[in-house]
Order: sequence, then C-alpha cells, then structure tokens
Amino acid sequence: MANWDEVDEALADYTVSCNTNERLRKMQRDWTRMLHFVCNDTSDTFSMDVRAGEIVSTGQGHTGVPDIIVTADSETFCDMFWGDINPMPKYLRGEIQVRGSQEDIMRLDAISYVIWPDA
Amino acid sequence: MSEDSAAVVADHHPHHLRRSVGTVTATATSAGLAFAAINFIGVVSVATFAAGSSAWLAILIGGLLAFVVSGVFSELNGMWPTAAGVRLYISSAFGVRAALIITLTYMTTVILVIAADAFLIGAAIQHVLDEPPALAYVWILALLVIATALNLRGITMAGRVQSVVTYTVLAGTVLLSVVALTKPGIVPETPFALFGNGVMSGFQAIAFALFLFAAFEWVTTTAEEARKPSVITRALFIGPVLIWLAATAFALGLDHLVPKDVAHGSAYPQLLLGQAALGRVGVIWMLGVTVLTAINTFNGGFLVASRFVYAAAREGNLPRSFAKLNMRAVPWLAVVVLAAVSAVVGAVVFATGRWLLLVAVGAALEASVFAIASAALLKLRRTSDRHRPFRLWAGPAVAGFGAVLFAGLALASGFSDPEIPTQFSAAPALIVLGLGAVSTVYVLLVVPRLHRAAAARRAAARASGERVRRRPQRPA
Repeated sequence: MANWDEVDEALADYTVSCNTNERLRKMQRDWTRMLHFVCNDTSDTFSMDVRAGEIVSTGQGHTGVPDIIVTADSETFCDMFWGDINPMPKYLRGEIQVRGSQEDIMRLDAISYVIWPDA
Repeated sequence: MSEDSAAVVADHHPHHLRRSVGTVTATATSAGLAFAAINFIGVVSVATFAAGSSAWLAILIGGLLAFVVSGVFSELNGMWPTAAGVRLYISSAFGVRAALIITLTYMTTVILVIAADAFLIGAAIQHVLDEPPALAYVWILALLVIATALNLRGITMAGRVQSVVTYTVLAGTVLLSVVALTKPGIVPETPFALFGNGVMSGFQAIAFALFLFAAFEWVTTTAEEARKPSVITRALFIGPVLIWLAATAFALGLDHLVPKDVAHGSAYPQLLLGQAALGRVGVIWMLGVTVLTAINTFNGGFLVASRFVYAAAREGNLPRSFAKLNMRAVPWLAVVVLAAVSAVVGAVVFATGRWLLLVAVGAALEASVFAIASAALLKLRRTSDRHRPFRLWAGPAVAGFGAVLFAGLALASGFSDPEIPTQFSAAPALIVLGLGAVSTVYVLLVVPRLHRAAAARRAAARASGERVRRRPQRPA
C-alpha cells in the first residue's frame, strides 16, 4: 500500500514525463480533460487537469467535474505513474477500473505507451 | 479551488461524468449497431425459410429470444461494467485462453458485417445510379476508404448524431413499410405456418431472425460511459424492441408488395420495396436509409474492432505494431488492416455473388456467442459471488435454456443454404469452424511466442541498463 506522498511523488514525475514529451504533447493537443483518481485501498483521491495535452495541475481531492474516473489500488497508481507497468493488462483484468468514453480510456493508455513503450 | 470546496465538489459529484451516456443514446447505440444494411438481406433470408407469410412470426420469436440474450448480458455487464467485459466474464468462466480464442473469433463478425455492408451499399448505389455492375466494387472501395480516412483522422460520431441517425433509419424503414402496406398487393398466405416447410426450415427461419438482432449486445462496450449501470440494461431491453419493430414492418411490407423469388435474388430488397411502394421517391428514400446505416456500421464497427486490436497488442497478444498510434492517437495499423481485410472479403463477395452466405455465417457466429455467454452465466452463478446489480430472473434455468437453444440455432444456421433453402450446406459451419480454428492455433502457438519475445526484450533492456525500475525503493 502506498501512502499519499509516494503517489504524489509518482504523479509529479509523470507530469514532467508527459509535459516534456513533444510527440505526446502534439498527439494530445486536442485533449482537454479533468481526471479523477480513487485509490480503492487507501481511499485517497486526487485530480489531474489536462488542457490541450498538458497536465496543468494535479492535487489531492477531487476538483471540478470529471471526464474520466480511474479507480485502482495505490501501488498500481504508483507503478503506473513511474512507468514501471503497462496499465493495459491490468485494465483488461479489471484491476484498473475506468469510467469515461472509450476514446478517453484509450488516450489515457496512449500516454503511458508513448512515454514508456517498453513497459 | 480550495481543499474545502474540492471536497464539496467531490461530495456532489462522486460518480458523475461531465459527458455520460443516457438511455436514449445507449438504446440508439444498441439498435444502431444491430440494424445494418445486412438486416434487409437478413429479413429476406428469414422469409426464405419461413413458409408462406410467416416471416413476421419468426422475427417475433427471434425478438423474444433476444430478450433472453438481454437478460444474460445485463447480468454479466453488471458484474463487469467495462468494454473489456466480454473478456472478463468468459475468462472467469472458462479460462483466459478460451476467452481470447472466443473474443478473437467474435471480432471477425465485425469484419464480416463491415464487408457485407460495404458490398450491399455499393450494390445499392450502383443500382440506383444505373451503372455497370463492375462499378459496385468501386463504390465498396470508396466507402471503405472514406470510413478509413475518417477513422484515421480520429473523427468519431457524437452520441447525439448517432442517435439521430439510428432513429431516422428505424423510422424511415417503418414508415416506408407502412406506406407499402397501404398499397394493393399480394394477399398473405398462411401467416402462421412457420414450420410449413418442415421443422428444420422453421428452426432455420428463427435462427436467421435472431441474426437480425446481432450486435445489439455490443452496447455493453459503452458501459464505462453510462450514467449508471441500469442505462445499459434498459438499452439491452429496449434496443431489440426497436429492431423488432423495423424488421417486422419491413418483412410485412416486403411480403405485401415484392414476390419472394424477386426479393430472394436481390442484393437490395429494400430498394425493391421502395420502388413498389413509392416509385423513384421510394427508391431514393430507401437508398438514403441504406447509406445512413453505413454511418453506424463503419463508425461503431471500426471503433470497436480497432480498439480491441489495440488493447490486444498492448497486452502482448497481438504483434506490437498493431498498437502503433498516429498523431491523432488512433491505432492506424489496426484501422488500415481492418479496412484492407474488409475490402478483400467485400471483393470475394462481389466476385462470387454469395452475400447470403455471409448472412448464414454471421447468424451461426452470433448464435454461438449467445450460447457461450449463456453458458458463462450458468457457470458464474455457481462459481462467482461478485456483486450483481441486475440478476436475471430464474437465471440458471434461463441461461441453461439459452445455452442449449442458441447452440441449436447456431447449428441450424451453420448447416443452411439461404440460396437454396431446401438444401443443407455445411459451408457456413465450416467457415465458422475455420475462423475458430485459426484463432485457437494463434492463441496456442503464436501468443506464447509473443509473450516470450516480450519477456526477453524486457530482460535484455534490464541487463543493459536501458530499462530499470524507475520507482524509488522504499526504506525497509
């Protein structure tokens, strides 16, 4: 089980990785979404505000109305944000649950794929 | 936003998405995915096997059976409300490999439907424009190229547009059929003699009637964007009613104005009905309806299939190149390959003129999937205590009945020859078995190699220091 500080640290690294990846920024240039995350083991919640492909803010708690809600355990979130796992198998096994359109779910996975294609 | 106000927002919107799908859109998705151009040919196939004017009765029974499917998928979708649901409940019931084999085979129906629709719409356009028959294939290619280009550019239809298109198609079909029924026409013969051509023939008529509802259950792939789980359940029960209404009206109209033997030999019976009901206006009307069905088929079909291929490639079950994304985050290779395979299948249908065989194959595949889903529910009732927001009444009995009956209907359509209904043909069953065999060989022989290659790649990257665990180690 990961505490909030660990999740926050992973999230910060993920934000830098996303925002500094030119290909990803170009690919996601038309993608503006509010993401809500729920850790189902710690009950921690956090949000991510993506505007034109750039992660402009992240933080504890839920802000705004979400376009996507992602639920998983805190360890999975940490591994996912550090790029140590490929989230797709976990999604297909139901270990990561996502609410949102199919297109948005694919875009979310595409972020991990573009940054860490060999994860 | 302060933390306090953030908490307030979270309390007020704990599970509400900004854009979510309600019952009207979900129902349109369900009916729209099922009601394709191939349905017009499907109705003709039902009428071919049903004696006299009893096609409506076969469609009614097919509709009632679709409710069994609705119940089964509602319970399974409630347990796993995700686009990957079909994989999850089949793997929970029968194992991971079986799930992959079944879903890979299942996805081939998408290619069949896209190819069939491209062919049927191409043939309809060529007929209306009074062009040489060879130009039909040019239209087929043009439709596939347009659909591919739109998909590659990431252009998808908004839910509302999809709803408008679906309801226009259904209303347009019903309205023209009602107009047809007001015209003086053929007096119906033996409207209740469904089994008048023999028990097997009547059973085959029901199997083809069930095919008219094929793919309505794909609405479960939108479960993650539904406002609440009951939205999908409602769509699963209302969608078949709309399809039943349109198919029944079309069957009655066709039976009233177009002789069976004329409709049977045509790739565009809907245009024949339009001609008989309203002349040139009716032809243009039904051509418009036919072209509109393509929007749903190509939008929904390409989207579902290409994203399935992408997910399978990301999971390591298909070559990695299928997960390649273009600059619009579209899995371009998956889309292009799907279009190319559809074009080849369309070319084969065009060259052989055996579009009715596609209907038989589709009917056998779909009934098989319904049988498998019913069997999965039967098993999961015994083995899984997972939360069920929807619980099928008399679940084990209904699912057991469904598994047996749908398997029987799969065999009935698998050994039918819609071109010469008095004959048996094993061609549809052989094609379905062939597709299943290819999927099985692929999953048993190729997938393990892909997994081994991926593991070796990761190990080599770790050994070379190119790929190390990035997450900092926590102190013990």
